[in-house]
Amino acid sequence: MASLTLKNIKKIYPFSSDEQKKAKKKKDDEPEKKQVNLQITDEGVVAVQEFSLDIADKEFIVLVGPSGCGKSTTLRMIAGLEDISGGELYIGDKLVNDVAPKDRDIAMVFQNYALYPHMTVYENLAFALKLRRIPKDEIDIKVREAATVLDIMQYLDRKPKALSGGQRQRVAIGRYIVREPQVMLMDEPLSNLDAKLRNQMRAEIIKLRNTIDTTFIYVTHDQTEAMTLGDRIVIMKDGFIQQIGTPQVVFNHPYNIFVATFIGTPQMNLFENAELLKNNGRYSVKLGDYTVELSEDKQAALSAKNVAAQPVTLGVRPEHISLSAGGIDAKVDVTEMMGSSVHLHVDAFGQDVILIVSTLNMTQKELDSLNHGTDVRFDFPGNVCHLFSKETGINLEA
Amino acid sequence: MKGKKKKFNISTLWQYYAMLVPGVVLTFIFSYIPLYGVIIAFEKYNVGMGFNSPWVGLENFRYLFSQPTFTRTIWNTLFISVWKLALGIIVPVTIAVLLNEMRSDKLKRFYQTLIYIPNFLSWIIMAGVLMDILSSTGAINTILAKLGMGTVNFLGDAKVFPWTMIVSDVWKGFGYGTIVYLAALLGIDPSLYESAMLDGATRWQQIKNITIPLLMPTIILMTVLSLGSVLNAGFDQVYNLYSPAVWETGDIIDTYVYRLGIQQAQYSVGAAVGLFKSLVSAIMVVTSYRLADKLAGYRIL
Ligand SMILES: Nc1ncnc2c1ncn2[C@@H]1O[C@H](COP(=O)(O)OP(=O)(O)OP(=O)(O)O)[C@@H](O)[C@H]1O
Ligand SMILES: [Mg+2]
Repeated sequence: MASLTLKNIKKIYPFSSDEQKKAKKKKDDEPEKKQVNLQITDEGVVAVQEFSLDIADKEFIVLVGPSGCGKSTTLRMIAGLEDISGGELYIGDKLVNDVAPKDRDIAMVFQNYALYPHMTVYENLAFALKLRRIPKDEIDIKVREAATVLDIMQYLDRKPKALSGGQRQRVAIGRYIVREPQVMLMDEPLSNLDAKLRNQMRAEIIKLRNTIDTTFIYVTHDQTEAMTLGDRIVIMKDGFIQQIGTPQVVFNHPYNIFVATFIGTPQMNLFENAELLKNNGRYSVKLGDYTVELSEDKQAALSAKNVAAQPVTLGVRPEHISLSAGGIDAKVDVTEMMGSSVHLHVDAFGQDVILIVSTLNMTQKELDSLNHGTDVRFDFPGNVCHLFSKETGINLEA
Repeated sequence: MKGKKKKFNISTLWQYYAMLVPGVVLTFIFSYIPLYGVIIAFEKYNVGMGFNSPWVGLENFRYLFSQPTFTRTIWNTLFISVWKLALGIIVPVTIAVLLNEMRSDKLKRFYQTLIYIPNFLSWIIMAGVLMDILSSTGAINTILAKLGMGTVNFLGDAKVFPWTMIVSDVWKGFGYGTIVYLAALLGIDPSLYESAMLDGATRWQQIKNITIPLLMPTIILMTVLSLGSVLNAGFDQVYNLYSPAVWETGDIIDTYVYRLGIQQAQYSVGAAVGLFKSLVSAIMVVTSYRLADKLAGYRIL
């Protein structure tokens, strides 16, 4: 139970061998397109940089981002498992950059759970307390308490090998409940579970959160987990923070194209050939022959920044596009029946556009008509348009 | 054993059996046929008459066990080999754990190679080296003398000789064991250590609570498997280093059989000793295999 402050945190993994250095030289000579655009300097690989974040006491922060963006690295620096190459890390108001992991009072749930295979569930739960020389009967009470909360009482005598994935997960969490740490870190704790169990455990983590009232930092690359769990979400890419905000904010006001496409499934549609128009101080956006006036809040935001008319990248979420009588011409490509809705892939301006159509008010006949090659039209209102600068990819409202 | 569980199905498995044939044939020719020779352990062997020498039953064995020299060699053998076994586990485990704690990979590899090298030298060469450095004017005694601790007759003093054997053998062989244990240590999930660190464990507590328990199956396995050779105290080593002066404590079964059988041409008695040893070893191998299965879950099949 403590607040956490990260100030301009940086992590450089030094080259471990000469070979890597050579590989880097080669890359310098012939720049080629890399998948991960991590900065590689003379000192090593820069995994995280300019990471600044204030985490309030008892807040639930989710770090999310694609593979290799530095989420685990950040978490491990907070835990003390990696040295911090630059910046300052405070737990409460104590600078802990050079404090050993065991003295930080932080717990971490690892992706593979890291249960001690030679100890029973009971011993796993009791290990940290035993090291603290807490009396046996007190340990016993705490272990049984945690086991009850997590519903693993009947497994206390088993070894981790004899547990299912979900049960192991509970034990892994239980190990930290007994400790009541100041900060609880979780590195993709659900990624090893199947979809159903994952949903179930996600709900349990939400429940857990209400019972054990501590600061949580949770890493995932699953945006659903991020949206459902986090008080605030930190979206990262290539070692840089892209946006920090509540699930609502990152969904409705993505700071840049990366965040816009990373959050939300199916992914936001991007139109490169859109144009922002300004007539008599009123903003509208033009896509092909379709023009729509922006909503008042967007008008206000753009006017405040005195944004000029310009070609833009327009982003519209699939759930905000609807089939209509007028609007943009398109041809149906693929229909994906999802039950309550249909994901319609249509072709417009030679690009794939996804829209979600509710099947609620559709007849079977109408549904059947939406097959490959059908001509349709779609439009969207002015309050769902996300306008991104062509040069920087940053939201023009930001 | 009631009924076979799996039907032997030659039509689908014949390729596997075909591959087995050369090995079986060679083993039969070179290991089983010569076994016929053990009958000389029950005969009064005479080179002229060969295998048709007069049958004496267990006379050779009776003679053997009535020889105080022989019973003495059994004790010597057990003393040396049990100590070798014990230290042969303790030393490599300790060194492996220490090496594993080293931060520098380069130094770690360097030490690993360094301690493994003696393993490649034969005892003939090692004996030469040892005789030199352990002699009364050798390196070790010079140092001991300089330290004012007097000199020790490592190879000539019957009290010291077995220990010279034990220590030098462990020294020669611990590199191999270390590598085995290092490999086992590599198999330990590093996140267990990280987890323990966050749980508040010091380095020593990590070794005690994670490294050693997780190394235990390997330790048990190695111990139990080496039990089978408990009557082998190291013929190469002892034969090349001993002398009549230390027979009292240093003469082991193998050297005794060698002198008896080859040098004194008492073939029958030599064969009897060999048979006795093989029998004990066979029993040890079977028991230790059972133990390995029970304690460490080790099975060949
Ligand atoms: N020990 C290391 N040495 C060198 N580079 C490393 C090391 N660990 C991680 N990296 C690099 O740092 C970057 C960030 O790694 P990190 O493990 O933090 O990614 P992540 O966001 O957790 O990804 P994932 O979702 O795949 O777990 C990666 O590009 C990785 O290659
Ligand atoms: Mg990771």
